[in-house]
Amino acid sequence: MAWFTDRHFFLLAVVFYGASSAYSVFLWRKGFRTDDRVNYFLLLAAAALHTVAMFQRGFSINQCPVNNLYEATVFIAWTIAAAYLALGIFQRLRFLGAFASHILFFIGVFALMPALDPPHAAQPDFSNGLTSLHAALVLLAIGAFGLSAVAAAMFLTEEHDLKFHKLRAVFSRLPPIQRLERVMNNLLVAGVSLLTTGLAFSPFLLKQKYGVYFKNDPLLDYSVCIWLFYLVLLVSRWKFGQGGRRFAWSALGGFVFILLTFWGFLLLSPAHRP
Amino acid sequence: MNFVVIGLSHRTSPVELRERFAFPDGKIPDALKSLRDSGITSEAAILSTCNRVEIYAATPLAPDVAFAELKKFLVAHHAFAGALGDELYTIDEPHSLHHLFKVAAGLDSMVIGETEILGQLKSAYELALQHKHTGARLNKAFQRAFNVAKHIRTETNIQRGSVSVMSAAVELAERIFSKLADHEVLVIGAGETSEKTARALQSRGVKKITVTNRSPERAAALAAELGGRAVPFEQWPDEFERIDIAISSTAAPHHILDRAKLEPLMRRRKNRPLLLIDIAVPRDIDPAVNTLNNVYLYNVDDLQSIAADYLKLRQEEVARCEKIIAEKVAVLLATNKFSTTDGHR
Repeated sequence: MAWFTDRHFFLLAVVFYGASSAYSVFLWRKGFRTDDRVNYFLLLAAAALHTVAMFQRGFSINQCPVNNLYEATVFIAWTIAAAYLALGIFQRLRFLGAFASHILFFIGVFALMPALDPPHAAQPDFSNGLTSLHAALVLLAIGAFGLSAVAAAMFLTEEHDLKFHKLRAVFSRLPPIQRLERVMNNLLVAGVSLLTTGLAFSPFLLKQKYGVYFKNDPLLDYSVCIWLFYLVLLVSRWKFGQGGRRFAWSALGGFVFILLTFWGFLLLSPAHRP
Repeated sequence: MNFVVIGLSHRTSPVELRERFAFPDGKIPDALKSLRDSGITSEAAILSTCNRVEIYAATPLAPDVAFAELKKFLVAHHAFAGALGDELYTIDEPHSLHHLFKVAAGLDSMVIGETEILGQLKSAYELALQHKHTGARLNKAFQRAFNVAKHIRTETNIQRGSVSVMSAAVELAERIFSKLADHEVLVIGAGETSEKTARALQSRGVKKITVTNRSPERAAALAAELGGRAVPFEQWPDEFERIDIAISSTAAPHHILDRAKLEPLMRRRKNRPLLLIDIAVPRDIDPAVNTLNNVYLYNVDDLQSIAADYLKLRQEEVARCEKIIAEKVAVLLATNKFSTTDGHR
């Protein structure tokens, strides 16, 4: 089976994400009226293959597989899938999968572009556990922001249905919008906490690499901006009641922005190059 | 041994006739005993509700003879002197099983898919069982009917949704709020529909209800009935800081709540979601408030439309349910146990 690499496993996972994405369109058209077990199992199968791919890559390089853009992207998608599978145990939150599958499929196809996964050098890119931990925490944070964006998309759909008196608002088996807002909030809190911890390692890593605790770096500046954005979003909700639609649009917009720009800043960053 | 049904229901007879043939609970055991003592039936159960009176029986007689005897029994038992025509229906096997399953699933009810009938059917069966008037045949038929009703409830949408304005309002509230018990309701105008809506919300967990009305006495009376509190009519806007659901049904000829009035109230509420149910005609709440963030306004037409669509959905499901029932009846009849069962438990 040596010819069947981790990328093949990931390709299979993306095929399942694609099947789930197509099935989600059917669920959408049906108005989310019946329990969504089929989609859950499609995503479960995809996540299992995805996990195998990550383990295989990790074992082949003997460290956490977060060393290039492919691995980083795969890690983010895995976080979203794993968090969804945990939330999807609750029947009312299972339809999150119908929204998550599109993002997972999109991220998966993006990650499979060959240029994102150059062969590893004989010497691994990152040589200590601290670096792996830093990268894993930051990517987990992005995954949490991603699932929060999925919940936001679901919130906006349902909120729109309720606002404009669409029958789907009452016919569907989607969760109450208040619960979705709480899910969004909790995922953002988790994301900000993970990002805070991940970024807290940055000065030590810079010291190891450049001998200084602080150095201007595009990805570091970008990450701090992202951290600030989500922090302001949470504080404005807690202190000034900026919940509901605005909160959901911000959570969704924030993640779309990350999706479109993260890879660019990663490529621009000298500190994150081997 | 034949499994038969004889009776009258809302489909065949007016309430005046149904009430003439109704069996009070306390008299059912004696009626069942006379039926069995007369030799017409070897097993029997009587279902008597406001919408139907039916005798389910296993009889050793030929169906025609059994139906004639059962009709005589009903007429004699209730001392009915009038003429009976199509109001009384008689159903022989296998249609009798089909009918029992339909009744259990609520398909023969006035409100399709309602669940109350299943409880009434269970009670009727329990009563007959308790007094040893059932045997293997009725036990099997009834137990299978309860299973089929459960199966239909879980596999189809026949019992889903709200078919009244009040329950549609409750369903909307459950789409917005995670737990109704944590939210307070304001009833503006102590009318009958708002009272029913408030009661429907209470049945789903709402604990705190505030009532306001132009006449303070009526507000106090309704508040006492609902276990809530009454506030003077002039002060209801102050309540908006605490409440999350408002039901309005005043007789005011103009809007009592508009966008200009609600906007500052929403700021005071820190933009928490607010469900406004306007069941007044003419409307109490300006439709423009629905454009505010976190405000969800539904008027009586919106709620009626939801209820009507749910009813339509249930009617569409009937064909699916009938198919399930036909399959289950065929399975039951195919088992030797049912066709050969005889004797008592």
